[in-house]
Amino acid sequence: MDELKLEIKKLIMSTLAIDNVDPATVDDEKPLFGGGNALTLDSVDAIEIIMAIQRTYGIRINDQNLAREVIRSVNTIAAFITEQRNLQPS
Amino acid sequence: MTELDFKHKMAAHCESGTITSLLNFGGLDITEPLVFGISGGIFFGYFHKMKSFAFPTFIVRNKPGQMRVDIEKRLGVKFKTYAFKDPASGMTALDDLIDRKIPTACQVDFFYLDYVPSWERVHINVHFMVVVGRQGTRYLISDAYFPKMVELEATSLQKGRFAGGEMSPKGFLYHLDRIPPEIDMKKAVERGIRKACFNMLKIPIPFLGIRGMRMFSRKILEWPAIARDTEHLSHEIMKINILLEDQGTGGAGFRFIYATFLQQASEILNKSELRDLSAELMLIGDGWREISLFAARIGKNRDLGAEKLKQLSDMIRDRADVEENFFRKLSKTV
Repeated sequence: MDELKLEIKKLIMSTLAIDNVDPATVDDEKPLFGGGNALTLDSVDAIEIIMAIQRTYGIRINDQNLAREVIRSVNTIAAFITEQRNLQPS
Repeated sequence: MTELDFKHKMAAHCESGTITSLLNFGGLDITEPLVFGISGGIFFGYFHKMKSFAFPTFIVRNKPGQMRVDIEKRLGVKFKTYAFKDPASGMTALDDLIDRKIPTACQVDFFYLDYVPSWERVHINVHFMVVVGRQGTRYLISDAYFPKMVELEATSLQKGRFAGGEMSPKGFLYHLDRIPPEIDMKKAVERGIRKACFNMLKIPIPFLGIRGMRMFSRKILEWPAIARDTEHLSHEIMKINILLEDQGTGGAGFRFIYATFLQQASEILNKSELRDLSAELMLIGDGWREISLFAARIGKNRDLGAEKLKQLSDMIRDRADVEENFFRKLSKTV
């Protein structure tokens, strides 16, 4: 799970071309939006992250209400990816 | 608190979500995508010069309130509607319905809903939610955009229900009145698909349907000449993202929810080609999402030169081409 969380932080940073933040300083639990975390994102960034998750993990987040919940923090993204992976037939 | 045995569910869109939850409460097992698709909700319209809009804009669904009317026509269900001139009588009528244990949908201005975080509040007069309980001056609300039921003060609810401006709610209420004993779901699904295909391909108005998309693609190149300055233009360009993704569209301007409808329709009608078309529409939706992202990016970066707008225009024209092809294939299935 920790590996996945690091991967998510790196994905967010490469997607948004952020190179001045150390992934280790990004808090897993704190919200990614609205300040208070080392990464502070806005609604435009949100759609980029949704599409990056879709491309990288093959997981669709079509509904923006669900998307809002999923991309709230690194932990919620990781939990969603893990849950979706478990749902997929092996 | 007067509270009904009402099952709260999140939904992609407030109007289809509200109708679905009222029908579910009445005992009809129907999903939000089916309600959306049967009502023929998917649409496109571009408005370059209209009194009601200060700047050109577009829509990706039929007009607010139409879903309820069309679902009545196609399923044979009946909703009872009310509108009021006087806020006091509007609130009394709502209280009376809640006391009679009737979950009641309200049209409101989203801005006055104080359970919505302040940074998300905007004036939209056509938000729908269901009032399912009350105690004193507090109302229990099932709002499809929130994961749990929420509470709202009477003063805020009244302000929202009687807000002024374009498409003012006038205290509008509706609740389920009747579900017929038998519903021909196959026929309803087919009629919904036919209506959507007519609206997208054949409606004889140049700014609606696929023709509206092509007009949007051409006219967006004129936006710099209409906008006051770069700031204004960037604001309007970024609104493309909001209209496609942020305003309860279920993503990609309702294309994803309609794709889910087609998947469910394929089972109801036992037509595998609808499942293939559903997959195709998901990919078309991805293209709309790319437009949304592109618009948001160039707007945010104030990167609004002629070349970028031409690129945006081409992307929209491309969606018109693929959707024309898509709806022609869809029209042949029913």
